This record gives sequence, structure tokens and C-alpha cells, in this order.
Amino acid sequence: MTGLGYTLPAVASVATVVALELGLLRTGLFRRRTYWITMVIVFGFQVAVDGWLTRLSAPVVIYDPRHLSGLRVPFDIPVEDFLFGFALVTATLLAWQRTAEAQ
Amino acid sequence: MEHLRYLLLLAGCVAVTLPLELSGSRVYRRPGRLARAVLPVAAVFAAWDVVAIAAGVWHYNPRYMTGIGLPLSLPLEEALFFLVIPVCAVLTFETVRRLSPVRDRSDVR
Repeated sequence: MTGLGYTLPAVASVATVVALELGLLRTGLFRRRTYWITMVIVFGFQVAVDGWLTRLSAPVVIYDPRHLSGLRVPFDIPVEDFLFGFALVTATLLAWQRTAEAQ
Repeated sequence: MEHLRYLLLLAGCVAVTLPLELSGSRVYRRPGRLARAVLPVAAVFAAWDVVAIAAGVWHYNPRYMTGIGLPLSLPLEEALFFLVIPVCAVLTFETVRRLSPVRDRSDVR
């Protein structure tokens, strides 16, 4: 377990997205209730979809355990996946906000 | 059917969120804006995926994949994942916004 391959970039992706909003984009997304409600709903669906993709009895995605923190919860989902998902969805919603302002 | 498992899961995500569009959240109906929001982010995450696959951080079970590959060893399903999941998220966001009794102060259309 080095954590370098997935854990580190997963943490970095969240830090990058948050820094991008606070330092550069300033869309105000993090102050919006709509955003946080969306993230709760997305989290719920991620547990279902990702749980199915990563379950150890029949995995679609197979991780090298040396690159994970080893914490897999709930079900068999590596916690890193939730950071990955947060960064992916937040970056998309930031871009969606930006394109609205550009119109 | 096993080889379609990942693809069908993504199709399910599209199907489950489609009523959000049909009931009035205008996301697919703004294809230009949607593409400008989703594609740049998808490109970055697909690049991350390509690097992680090349470095052996994760790989995909051939049993549950179509086997259709894109350049740089990116499976078709993974490329679709980076389009489908963000679109689902935007549809959710637009629907929550639309149904909110109180408008966000920083609300933008």
C-alpha cells in the first residue's frame, strides 16, 4: 500500500477543483443550496452504481491494492472513488455554471 | 449478456434520469452549452483514466465489457462513463434548481 497511484491523485483532484472555484472561477457554486442537495443525491446514486462496479465478488473495475488506502466502504467501494466522483461532478457543475454566465 | 454489463449500467443511468429532462429540465435541449460544460472535464478525467490504466492502478474485467476499445487503451464504456455521469449530474442539478421553492440568490439560468 503506497497510496500513490490512486489515493494521492484523488485527494489532489478535490483540492484542485476547490482551489479552481475559490481562486479563479468564483461562480459561487459552493454557497448554493441547489449544489449541496445535488451532491447528496449524486452520492446516493454513486453508492448504488459504484457499489455494483466495484463489488469484490464480481468486479467490473479491478484495483491494484498497492495503490489504494485500503478503506473500502460502503460495500466494496474504495473511498478514493468518492473523491474522484466529487471532483468529476463538481468540475462539471462549475463548467455548467460558467457556460450559463457566458450566455 | 455478461459482456454488456457495464454498458447496460450506463444505459440504466441515462434511462433513470431521462424523466428529469422530459418533465422540464432543459439540459439535452441545450446541447451546445452541455457540450461546453461536459467535454472539457471529460477530457481531463479520461486522460487520468488512461494514465491509471497504463500505470496498472486499475483495470477492467473483460468478462463484463464489450471489448470495444478506443485509442490509448481506453475502453468504450469508460469514455461513455465520463459523458453519462456528468450529464446525469447536470440533470439532477437543473431539476433541484427548478423544483426549489426559494430561488438561490446567485441563481443563473
